[in-house]
Amino acid sequence: MIELASLSNLTAQALGTFVPAILSDATSNGIPASIAAPELRWAGLILLLPVISAVLCGLCAAMRVKSKLPGLITAVSLVASFGLTLWLFLSLSNADGPVAARTVHLFDWITLSWEPTHQHAATRWTSVTAPFALYIDSLTLLWMLFVTGLGSLIAIYATEYMESDVGKGYARFFGCVSIFLFAMGALVMGGNLILLYLGWEGVGLASYLLVGYYYTKPSAVDAAKKAFIMNRIGDAGLALGIFLIWVNYGSLEYSALFEAMQGAGADGASASWTREAIPYLIMLGAFGKSAQFPLFTWLPDAMEGPTPVSALIHAATMVTAGVYLIARLYPLFELHPHALETVAWIGCFTALLAATIGMAQYDIKRVFAYSTVSQLGYMFLGLGVGTSFGAVYHVFTHAFFKALLFLCCGAIMHGMAGQLDLRKMSGLRNVKGFGIISWTFLVGCLCLAAFPFSSGYFSKDAIIGQAFASDNPNFNFLGWVAVLTAGLTSYYAFRVWFRVCGGPTKYEAGDEVHSDADEAHDDDHGHGHAPAATTHHAAEHWHPHGPRIAINAVLLVICAGALLAAVPAYNAMSGGSNWVQRMVAHSSAFEGAQLHDAHGAEHAHHALSFTGIQDVHTATSVVASVFGMAGLLIALYLHLLNRSAADHLRNGLLSNSLTRWLPIAMENKWYVDEIYHWTFRVPLWALAHVSHFADKNLIDGVVVNGVARLPMDLARLFQPLYNGVLQGYAATMAGGLALILAWVFWIWMQGV
Amino acid sequence: MLKSLSYLLLLLPMLSAVAIAFAPTKSAKWIAAASTSVIFAISVMFAWAFTGWSSGAIAPLDAVTPILPEFGINISLGASSVGVMLILLTAFLMPLAMIGSFTAIREREKEYYAWFLVLEATMLGVFLARDAVFFYTCFEFSLVPMYFLIAIFGGAERRAASIKFFIYMFFGSVFTLAGLIYMAVQYKLQIGNGWSFDLDTLVAFSSNPEHMSKSQQFWIFVLLMTGFAVKVPFFPVHTWLPLAHDQAPTAGSVILAGALLKFGTYGVYRIALPAAPVGAIELDQFFAIICLIGIVNAALICWVQHDVKKLIAYSSVSHLCFCMLGMFSLNSVGTTGAFMYMINHGLSTGALFLCIGMIYERYHTKDMDKLGGLFRRMPVWSFFMVFFTLSSLGLPGLNGFVGEFLCLMGCFTADVDAVAGYPGLLGPWYAIIAVLGLIVSAMYLLIMLGKIVWGPLREPLDHAHTSHAASALPRDLSLREISILTPIALVSLFIGFYPNPMLAPIGKDIEESLASYPKLVEEYRQNGSLVWPESAKSDGVARTELDTPTMAKSR
Repeated sequence: MIELASLSNLTAQALGTFVPAILSDATSNGIPASIAAPELRWAGLILLLPVISAVLCGLCAAMRVKSKLPGLITAVSLVASFGLTLWLFLSLSNADGPVAARTVHLFDWITLSWEPTHQHAATRWTSVTAPFALYIDSLTLLWMLFVTGLGSLIAIYATEYMESDVGKGYARFFGCVSIFLFAMGALVMGGNLILLYLGWEGVGLASYLLVGYYYTKPSAVDAAKKAFIMNRIGDAGLALGIFLIWVNYGSLEYSALFEAMQGAGADGASASWTREAIPYLIMLGAFGKSAQFPLFTWLPDAMEGPTPVSALIHAATMVTAGVYLIARLYPLFELHPHALETVAWIGCFTALLAATIGMAQYDIKRVFAYSTVSQLGYMFLGLGVGTSFGAVYHVFTHAFFKALLFLCCGAIMHGMAGQLDLRKMSGLRNVKGFGIISWTFLVGCLCLAAFPFSSGYFSKDAIIGQAFASDNPNFNFLGWVAVLTAGLTSYYAFRVWFRVCGGPTKYEAGDEVHSDADEAHDDDHGHGHAPAATTHHAAEHWHPHGPRIAINAVLLVICAGALLAAVPAYNAMSGGSNWVQRMVAHSSAFEGAQLHDAHGAEHAHHALSFTGIQDVHTATSVVASVFGMAGLLIALYLHLLNRSAADHLRNGLLSNSLTRWLPIAMENKWYVDEIYHWTFRVPLWALAHVSHFADKNLIDGVVVNGVARLPMDLARLFQPLYNGVLQGYAATMAGGLALILAWVFWIWMQGV
Repeated sequence: MLKSLSYLLLLLPMLSAVAIAFAPTKSAKWIAAASTSVIFAISVMFAWAFTGWSSGAIAPLDAVTPILPEFGINISLGASSVGVMLILLTAFLMPLAMIGSFTAIREREKEYYAWFLVLEATMLGVFLARDAVFFYTCFEFSLVPMYFLIAIFGGAERRAASIKFFIYMFFGSVFTLAGLIYMAVQYKLQIGNGWSFDLDTLVAFSSNPEHMSKSQQFWIFVLLMTGFAVKVPFFPVHTWLPLAHDQAPTAGSVILAGALLKFGTYGVYRIALPAAPVGAIELDQFFAIICLIGIVNAALICWVQHDVKKLIAYSSVSHLCFCMLGMFSLNSVGTTGAFMYMINHGLSTGALFLCIGMIYERYHTKDMDKLGGLFRRMPVWSFFMVFFTLSSLGLPGLNGFVGEFLCLMGCFTADVDAVAGYPGLLGPWYAIIAVLGLIVSAMYLLIMLGKIVWGPLREPLDHAHTSHAASALPRDLSLREISILTPIALVSLFIGFYPNPMLAPIGKDIEESLASYPKLVEEYRQNGSLVWPESAKSDGVARTELDTPTMAKSR
């Protein structure tokens, strides 16, 4: 009760001041040293609640609970987790001025220390410690707020979405979602890099289990496997990066690490390869988790999972972990400008590549999967050109609008029996029960397309504007690529909306009748495929059914979130300051929190000066809007007003031998999967067979058995001596050989 | 207290074996289950009463039973913290393996359980021994029960497998014996106060440069390692393992992977590394490269296996090479990691073998082409299978991660003196190749899961309608089977989140074992070799230089 009272107190205070003081606008130079805050131990509950819920879901699964209980448990504990996060945020906003990060030690996890025996041993490197501790600063809070917030909402959505699986996979689904929330929390709140690694692999596990949720589908199993393995490649890089960080900076805990890094920047330490390689290895980890080139191909395949999972894990939260990692280690990247430039190039390239693929997909979930890859590319571009604020703000807005888009896709899929092909649906806005879906879907598309004054518009412009403001001509070039990609984004987003929600009403059912297919399997002698009769039967009586309260309510709330995510930017426009920017400014990524470049001044001359607009961000907005509107109008023409023109265009391209390759390559995802298959998997596979063959026939067959045959042949001479009892062999062999060897050594030793 | 407990640990299994021999057949399994459980309880008490946790010293237990006093051969026992942990592991796995055999073994039960108890006695003997001859006797004698267990209760090729297992092992360990005898003979000759086979005395003696020249230490290391390498098993001498695992009964595989393979790693840690530092340093990189080949080669072979038990067996090779790589990084981090790896490999691989055994009992096949999608049939089994697979691939939060991460970290940082506290000879490049093993291990383990747990249901054709009725086993796991796997899962989870109780006590032990290394490593780095220095100095000169701490910084 007391806690509730104090919570309402805090809320009142926070509303009164409106801007929490932790985020007040003072400029900070350097990251303030963190303070140990044992009184915040209760923050551990944010991690513990999902664990408890996972255990309870496991018990439900074991006891074969045939109700929505697991969903309820998960939803309640995630909402509670969100409440605690909010409370944490509010309680920290009481203090005056920029507040140092808090570290909360929960318990010792890995502690290893030793006496240095070496004369040159430095004192710093006498232990490896990775306590289970939390590091709470504004970046952590920002991330946790939308992770737990969206997590709760999507769990509520899923209680309805997954209802056809009640009693079957329902508990498993929610158990995995709970595991995910725990792991994501550990990743974001963890106070050291090994704890981050725990979360890092933990979210990979949750993703593996959830992508493979429909485990009887071989494609889902393959997608899950692919996701985990590609992530493992990134994880391996991250692990090596962690080792190198320890070697160079002597700690794995953020608080000590940032101190050491800031010192390293000052002393101009020698550029050994061990130091130079760190950001590139970390990058590999980030690119694996955040699906950037060259490790991006798992994310579109991961759409095999249930749609709430795609929304939560593969759009809003997990895939932004790479952005978090680089933002968290921004002081490190600041020491390596070339590494940051690499991040920018790869981010920008991925954004363009994925956008071109997304333009040519017919599966609406895949379109948005590639869109996620593309938008993540923007975030990395932002980090690379030096605006961690832009990147984080885009993470924030993207979390809402992309979750919204996926949940809309899911609601459509739910109501249309698994239909996802945009050629087979049209005019859904007029279908009964699909009204809320259609209009919230439109909001999501507007934000994604960075329609002027939507949330995506502000966050994207923060990134692109910074690219144009830079003195680096490469970054200006990347800015142009990003503007072009913004146009493509607008095109593919509205291609989907105009096709699915606009136009004459017309639809057909999907092939997956997800309520009946699984039941058919559950008999004793099921053979792993849905009996055709069931599907047929279901298809006859099929009609689209609109979502009920849980799904509609969540869509509306997230839609509101997507719109309100623009509020910080409006606040900034009206002379205030951007909330997200202040959050970033008081975290380890503070260096990139300013809107303009390092000089902080208005740029008299920038890459967009030809427009005659002084302020680079205004100029960017104008230019990007022009491209965005162009994309929207093209989509409007090709996919709403004159749909046959789209087919003509495609056929025209296909019939011309010079342009033939373009639609084919785009529809086949530029053959990246095939290239990987033939350059990596097949050679490895061959090598594995060679190894196996050599092991069996060469090492074992020739060498071992050959050696074994030698004494066997010799032994034939003495065969009569043996009576066939094993102990006899053993004793004789041991005794004999030992005697011989001892004698040999005796002789040898005498000689020495 | 400790003394009597340690005798109990050795005698109780033997006595129970005898009791089983005379008891009625039906009670054999109950006696085995009860006595192994009691032994586990005793081992816990032993660990509780053990005083050497913080000191790291080998605690002699004053339990000396002279066998051949004139040759200094005694049954003398002692335990270090590393040894006690391995005793706990062995004693923990034994009752689970016994209870796991209840339904699988229906013929010649008395022999089966009696041999297992004999095996347990020899295993505990290895980890308790403080006398070289006693150590070797237990080391060798463990082959006999294992031989019978494979030869009588194994699969179709059990004869070939058991003979190969026996001869292979024997061939290797004879060299180890020769090394031990050589050390003892030298001791007798140089010290002159009679024979001693006390391991600590011998180790201290032979690692002392005043007693053993560098080339002598080198050859001692080669001899000792030959036997241990077969047991570990290292890359070219690993071919017995897949066959033996494939053919052994389930419990045999569990114990083979869980405890018997640890003889090799324990032997290296307890005897070879401290006794012959010169040899260890000289051959450090050689063995590390062998480990790397083993890691990658075995992992690739796993990928193309069709038999799930063979796959796990090959993954054991890959994992133990990982463990040894950690040990050969010669620093505290890597060696601690190697130790953690020993325990964790025993738990997760042992549990995986148990899981596979449960499938084999139901379907009489281990072929992944014939079995698949078992999640639909056996969700509880699948849960455990996925759990232990994840622990095996080193998912943080489960036990496998701690060892793996520390092994890699130790290996990676080995060449940076200031960092690891101990200079070593490996370095980032070794770790980078080992990391490939991490990726490939995720590949083959997940492919295995994808085939056997997920996907559309596949069962052997002749099986689906008949065998369920024939065997008394339920479709999914029985309560007995669940209660076998649950303790292992809980321990895995505990170690994953709270490994400190294990990390803390072994630190000191490792520091003592590695005490003589830093100086020698420095010298090796300067001269490029200890035994054959480039500057062609005579042995004597090199030895005097060793004692003067005038070496320049190498970094």
